[in-house]
Amino acid sequence: MEQQEQRLSFTGSGSEYFRIWIVNLFLTIITLGIYSAWAKVRRLQYFHRNTILNDSSFDYHADPKAILKGRIIAVGMLLTYNVTIKTMPMVGLGIGLVIALVMPWLLVKSLRFRLYNTSYRGLRFGFDGSTAGGYVNFLLLPILSAVTVFLLAPFAHQRTKAFQHGNSRFGQTNFGFDASAGAFYKVYILGLLLLLLVGGTLGYAGYTVFKDFAALQPKAQHGMAFFTFILAFYAAFIFVGLLVVPYFMSRLQNLVWNGTTLGAHRFSSTLSARGLLWIIVTNFIGIILTFGLFKPFADVRLARYRIEHMSLLAEGDMESFIAGEQQQETATGTETAEMFDVDFSF
Amino acid sequence: MASIPADYYDGRSARRVPVSLSIEGGWLMLKGAELELEIPFSSVRVSEKLGSAPRQLHLADGGHCAVSDHAAFEALLQGAGVRPRSLVSRLEGYWHYAVGALLLSIACVVAGFIWGLPWAAEVAADRIPYSTAHIIDQHVLSTFDQGMLQPSKLSPERQRELQQRFDTLRAGRDLPDYPLQFRNSPAIGANAFALPGGTVVVTDALVQLADNDEEILGVLAHELGHVSERHPLRQLLQGSVVALAMTWYVGDISSLLAAAPTLLLQTSYSRNFERRADRFAADMLRSKGIPPTRLADMLEKLEQTHRKAHPQQQAASVDKYFATHPDTAERIRSLRENNPGAQ
Repeated sequence: MEQQEQRLSFTGSGSEYFRIWIVNLFLTIITLGIYSAWAKVRRLQYFHRNTILNDSSFDYHADPKAILKGRIIAVGMLLTYNVTIKTMPMVGLGIGLVIALVMPWLLVKSLRFRLYNTSYRGLRFGFDGSTAGGYVNFLLLPILSAVTVFLLAPFAHQRTKAFQHGNSRFGQTNFGFDASAGAFYKVYILGLLLLLLVGGTLGYAGYTVFKDFAALQPKAQHGMAFFTFILAFYAAFIFVGLLVVPYFMSRLQNLVWNGTTLGAHRFSSTLSARGLLWIIVTNFIGIILTFGLFKPFADVRLARYRIEHMSLLAEGDMESFIAGEQQQETATGTETAEMFDVDFSF
Repeated sequence: MASIPADYYDGRSARRVPVSLSIEGGWLMLKGAELELEIPFSSVRVSEKLGSAPRQLHLADGGHCAVSDHAAFEALLQGAGVRPRSLVSRLEGYWHYAVGALLLSIACVVAGFIWGLPWAAEVAADRIPYSTAHIIDQHVLSTFDQGMLQPSKLSPERQRELQQRFDTLRAGRDLPDYPLQFRNSPAIGANAFALPGGTVVVTDALVQLADNDEEILGVLAHELGHVSERHPLRQLLQGSVVALAMTWYVGDISSLLAAAPTLLLQTSYSRNFERRADRFAADMLRSKGIPPTRLADMLEKLEQTHRKAHPQQQAASVDKYFATHPDTAERIRSLRENNPGAQ
């Protein structure tokens, strides 16, 4: 069978999404945040429905009430933790521990929720990862990579992606993941070198300038000079971040999606660090200059860039996918009642 | 009858079937190459319009149709007696609504900040008992004791004496009975402040600055005025919400409560809070036979010392509390005018 490349495309526009964003923001404000769950569903629907593959769009089906439930749980947990850690540190520590212990379970549930609520051509995606796998990937591996001073971080990252992608399916067709840990190490090491190079150069330049600057100032104004130094440090931090993040983001997305399979089909992702750098830097400047009003335009630009650099390498017939058993079961909506999405991204 | 092109998916396979879609007499009709479906329209769930993305018609059996020709589809819905777009979708569709939403959002945030937040903080503070808020006091004090505040150098006898006069002052009022906290602090200078749970802290410099104990009691009565109206707690609650909103806006949640102790000292009270605390102090002092003008005398001295310490730079961070208060002069005048002949 011949392989056929099908590019994804994105049909959303910044000005259209701006109107959706601002109206939903307003409704969120006047409902004291409750509407944010509905706003989130509309936002995800906008991005899913404008993502086109082979003339059909994706869709998102989550019940806003399930999202609201998840948000209340997340806010409740964060608030309890933050208040108790300040007032009764021991109790707070205990609560933090409990949160850390239930987190993997919540993350697995969230993955299941998100994938189940995503569809393409009327077929739902799904996630079959076990809770035990969640504990290995979202608790054990992060701890392991922390105690090894992040020497194991690339390996842990590879295992987590393998867990997420390897346990996903579209209808009844399973996704697979075959990117090696070695490839993750390569991205991490090159990223680290870039970070040291950019950060080091900038740090050294900053140090020399600051030394001369401080020497020129009278003693009484050293406080002021120190303040300038702190400001310069933050600016440099953001600058380095803006340079290094696109590199990481592009290489990782490429690595992850080039290593993902769907049945006999494969994916291809060709983001370039330079292209992403341009998008991220201009988005950042736009958001700063407009006090945040550029955000919806920035979201659309980033989504378009990431989506349009992906394609599906179809191996023969694309129409032969069939629905999973779970979809037939849940069409009546009995199981969805206990599903919720815990969103810590805010 | 008008029909429009659509894509039909049966919900069991990924197969796309191009169909022509029409709505006739309460029935949704789908006609394709090898397919002809008639479905009662009342059982069909039509998705909302979101920008120009395709709209979906979800059928009861799990199948769905995707439509991209919005104008024609809206006309079909209209013809079938169904409202083509939801209210939110219509709001999202036009620039004038978007601009309206933007302006109203800004107005809501500003109004919430000016009226909503102080009101909510007052309601919440009234429901938090002193004993609960006292936990914050201990936390704040222990934080300050590691930096800005040092143990008092006043003799234990002097401290006990002032403590007794303080207890007499607040006797018979509905106020918490936490001991007065004496501290030495070159950084803050002569000052006194109340914490959210009702703890009152006074610095050695303030005790030394006073010509007599009645002046100290004047300031302490003013602080008890803040305690009685829960000003420190209200200030803390307001500050926390603002910090939360700011961190959400900037996108980082971790620094939220870390800022609480600094917020306490750095945000000066509103003019209204000071005036009310003064009025409370005047009433309290008078009931104990102390002329309220003692507070005015002390305010004058504090103003002078702080001006001497920072001739140009009156806005030095911590001194804000008394020294840079714009209407200290106004407060002194008001205290003297309302309590004549007591000097």
